Amino acid sequence: MNFMNSKGKLLGLGAICGVIAAALAYFGNPANMAFCIACFIRDTAGALGLHQAEVVQYARPETIGLVIGAFLIAIGTKEYKSTGGSSPMTRFVLGICMMVGALIFLGCPLRMILRMSAGDLNAWVALIGFVLGIVTGVFFLKKGFTLGRAYETQKMSGSVISILALGILILATFTSLLKVSQAGPGSMHAPIILSLIGGLLFGAIAQKSRMCFAGSIRDVVMLKNFDLFFGVLGLFIVMLIYNVVMGKFTIGFDTPGIIAHSDHLWNILGMYIVGFAAVLLGGCPLRQLILAGQGSSDSAITVLGMLIGSAICHNFGLASSGTALNPETQEVVKGAVTANGKVAGIICIVVLFVIAFTNKRKEV
Amino acid sequence: MRKKELKLVVTFHTTADAMAMEKAAKDFGLKGRIIPVPRVISSGCGMSWTSDLLEKEQVLAVMEKAGIDVEELHEVLI
Repeated sequence: MNFMNSKGKLLGLGAICGVIAAALAYFGNPANMAFCIACFIRDTAGALGLHQAEVVQYARPETIGLVIGAFLIAIGTKEYKSTGGSSPMTRFVLGICMMVGALIFLGCPLRMILRMSAGDLNAWVALIGFVLGIVTGVFFLKKGFTLGRAYETQKMSGSVISILALGILILATFTSLLKVSQAGPGSMHAPIILSLIGGLLFGAIAQKSRMCFAGSIRDVVMLKNFDLFFGVLGLFIVMLIYNVVMGKFTIGFDTPGIIAHSDHLWNILGMYIVGFAAVLLGGCPLRQLILAGQGSSDSAITVLGMLIGSAICHNFGLASSGTALNPETQEVVKGAVTANGKVAGIICIVVLFVIAFTNKRKEV
Repeated sequence: MRKKELKLVVTFHTTADAMAMEKAAKDFGLKGRIIPVPRVISSGCGMSWTSDLLEKEQVLAVMEKAGIDVEELHEVLI
């Protein structure tokens, strides 16, 4: 079967993902955060009590749905393969770095696209960093960078992350053990069932289409191939239409209420870290969740790195703040990158270069 | 639109192997190119090597000389 190969089909699948994101935004997810892997993993870490930032604690069913959706479709189409052993601890560290970069910028590549579609110029600035990060990663790929091959493992191993995700969903739905934000972004969400269905569908589509935000640009840069790019384009177009129709399209910097800041250098560097780490890992945060669902323990470890990374970000004050409106004075309070966040960002860039230089394919 | 042909597609365990394949092909004068792994195949590192089906023996010979492991061999309409 060749039904997934044409650019038109990929454009259509990306558009369906855009519709899912638009629907989730319409039914209650935060503005411009309809679907953000970094934010949602961070919220889930908060729900589990891994960090104490009260405004971002909610076990997002979308993230859980992504993993389980990818798992189910992979089982159904016989693409499930339990693998592991490709430098797991290095991937764990790269997962942490990717989350630190994302929370300096305030979003993963998926949210960057959503923010771009809403006219947020900060996201367009960050795109420069994302592309530069990918180009840096491609440079090292061409120099022989590798984290080593993965091997087949016991079948059960690849499904553990999906079972854990299901466990979190059960705890969130049937108990009051998990934390739930009463204010802030964590308190804004679509109904659980819609979020879960959205996540399952998005996960299944992303698995079949191999959607990857870093991979799409990597393929353009390295291979002049635009296939994956068309999926991203489809998503962007649908969200652009949604934002314009719903009156949510505002071109500008320092726009209050959209959880973004206008520190250009750090928007660039934050997404530079994400792009660079994603190429070294072989996929963006979304792709890591999907690969984890279809059986890769290496990607599951990366997801755990992102989960712990988000806790580190909030426990040590690394996450940036968004531009907001002071409710009393109605003054615009500019969002900012923290001093700790800047130090952590520099450390992450150094770590990425060390990993990139020290993991090479053995020449025969 | 270009007519699709049945081609040989080789997938690799790592992107570094795919890069090494590109270099080895250049060194040994092997025809073909690196492409993203076609979506009908789920395995691989994201990049694959494609050549004419007739080149299969040469491709395998070059890979052996260069010490590159094959993950899987496929015949795909591209």
